[in-house]
Amino acid sequence: MGGSTRTEVLLWAQRVVAKRAAPAHEILELKVDSSAEDAQAAFHKIARIAHPDLHRNGMTPEELEMVTSAYGIAAGAYQTFRNQSMMTTRMKPLKPEDLAAAAMGNKPAASAVGPTSPTATPPTGVPIPSAGANQQMNSRALVYYRKAEIALRRGDVKGALLQLKMAIAADPSSTFLRTALAEVDAELRKGG
Amino acid sequence: MAIALGIDLGTTNSCAAVATPTGVEFILGQRAERVHPSVVAFPSSGGVVVGQDAKRYRLTEPQHVIHSAKRFIGQNIRAPLVQLALTGIRYKVVEGPNQQPIVVVRDRRMTMPEISSHVLLHLKRCGERQLGTSVTDAVITVPANFTDAQRTATKEAGRLAGLSVMRLINEPTAAALAYGFGRNQDQLICVFDFGGGTFDVSILRIKGEVFEVLASDGDFFLGGDDLDRALAEVLAAECNRILRFDPRQHPVLMMKLMMGAEAIKCHLSDNDAAEGEIDGIDLPNGQTGSLPFSLNRAQFEELINGYVNRTIEVTKQVLAQAKLSARDISDVLCVGGSTRIPAVRNRLAEVFKKQPNISINPDEVVAQGAAIQAGSLSGSIIQGSGMGTRDAVVTEAHSPLIHGGARAQGPLARPVLLDVNPSTLSIQTAGGYAEHLLDKNSPIPIERTRVFTTARDHQTRVEIDCCRGESRRYAENEPLGTLVLENLEAKRRGDLKIEVCFRVDADGILHVSAMDPDSGNRQEAALQVIGAPTQEGA
Repeated sequence: MGGSTRTEVLLWAQRVVAKRAAPAHEILELKVDSSAEDAQAAFHKIARIAHPDLHRNGMTPEELEMVTSAYGIAAGAYQTFRNQSMMTTRMKPLKPEDLAAAAMGNKPAASAVGPTSPTATPPTGVPIPSAGANQQMNSRALVYYRKAEIALRRGDVKGALLQLKMAIAADPSSTFLRTALAEVDAELRKGG
Repeated sequence: MAIALGIDLGTTNSCAAVATPTGVEFILGQRAERVHPSVVAFPSSGGVVVGQDAKRYRLTEPQHVIHSAKRFIGQNIRAPLVQLALTGIRYKVVEGPNQQPIVVVRDRRMTMPEISSHVLLHLKRCGERQLGTSVTDAVITVPANFTDAQRTATKEAGRLAGLSVMRLINEPTAAALAYGFGRNQDQLICVFDFGGGTFDVSILRIKGEVFEVLASDGDFFLGGDDLDRALAEVLAAECNRILRFDPRQHPVLMMKLMMGAEAIKCHLSDNDAAEGEIDGIDLPNGQTGSLPFSLNRAQFEELINGYVNRTIEVTKQVLAQAKLSARDISDVLCVGGSTRIPAVRNRLAEVFKKQPNISINPDEVVAQGAAIQAGSLSGSIIQGSGMGTRDAVVTEAHSPLIHGGARAQGPLARPVLLDVNPSTLSIQTAGGYAEHLLDKNSPIPIERTRVFTTARDHQTRVEIDCCRGESRRYAENEPLGTLVLENLEAKRRGDLKIEVCFRVDADGILHVSAMDPDSGNRQEAALQVIGAPTQEGA
């Protein structure tokens, strides 16, 4: 679905409607092990191109109905991904101020991160305790740790492992990092 | 070309606007006011009066002045919260067909959509006068937690006013659109919408032109009206103590106290204390008395504390539903007049550890967002063929876009709104369980199909009971209606397949269909929702 011409949108809609009973990742045209973030990116792409609102004036009612239906099916698939709490949902988004604070050695205000509600489903993947990560290691290690987070978010567990090892080399005293390494390692073994 | 209005149809006030390439032009009333009271009066002298003029009749003939119709639109009159809300009004409401509330003014019986259509028609006429062209299309905003029936009834009101309702959008989403349109940023925001009659919180991710609602919740029966009422009750007790006269049995007097309470509330938003007297109180002995009052901000805050706590509680729940912490939110938008209360803002600042954004006008931002969506759907703001040169100057009506107009930043991408379904939708399965088909906070429009089977041998007819609510027990949820699939082939139980498809459209309205895939026997029906207005009306 590279372009956004009317024909391409219609072809996409046909494909989706035809495989409506397929698993969520197939509907979103993703790989089996895609993360919630991948699904979000895929769905946003679909929304920007195929949202029925964008085609109100350029399609026949039948065509619009098919696009609406396909979009609805894709939304359902995306919801499936949102429900399966992914390993990265407990990760705090990387914020420039965190890095700046770490670089300056400031102590940022501690705050609870992660699901605050007991009703939230526990994540099935790696539960990296991201809370106050910048207090748990020095600033050089933090840079590697953040890279590990980014790798994990991409689903690249091996890459994350490497970055975590680099982080430990930069700050060997951090037990936080060792715990994280153990968890990612376990995840890799489980998955591989 | 056709003009599409964006309309914020509020409980106490409404506001309408039209998008132009440089900003938003508000529809003004006769006194150049941007905000129009959602009040419809049927005075004894005849005719229908809407808006600011209708408010005048509140003191002379309160039984003929219909306000807060939004609290009853699309509601089942037997619902306990509706019954409670009915105790706070001075006009007559009776039960009509399909358990819908019917307003009775003298001999006229009117449905709630009819009442709201008068407000919409008033806005349409003001718009036509101001723009010098006919207005045929509209985007109307509704509270995020509006039910199916409430949404259908609001569309019906639009239809009765001669407007083609292009879309219903959720109020917090509209506010986020007005805030983020043209900003082209990636951020997480919280919209705290505390209006006259309803309360909503939404968490959104704005990424370029995509506005994705991550979670949304609210309380449909919580608003500024409730704060006024709490204060009016205190004033009534004072009246009883000082003047030895209980005003609670007298609708006109209670209305006067409500108006006094509203004024005191607004005064206390800017001042530490309110002191004065409410005069013109007719006493039973024929004399006219006046009621002195003296209240400071701390006392008022204590009085409304319970309501404010409730809003904060819901806000924390929504954060949890979005799986975010307060620190992740980069901006908190205050929408709705009740967010002017300092106590509300302070509590928000406590939760989010930052001051809420008060740079937007809480009364107008929703209409502004609706206007942008209307302009986008009709194509006028994107192609730049909107209002042309008439908005080159900033007038009483014209407000620039919050972050510059199209001209400043090149062509704007059409915004894409990814709104959500406000509550879980389920069907009843054997044993009285509710099988969830669509989760709360699912993106809409959405479509989900599930296959079910029969529970008894040789069953030729199945009834599909639909409900909304979070409980796993069907009986604990709110029933929506029943779809019947008949003339099925008689098979052993479990052998027959029934495909049930739930579809929620972009307006947030549910459509259910059921099919027996082997025979292709398809039944589709719009649910006749209890409490919804019927075609026959009153």
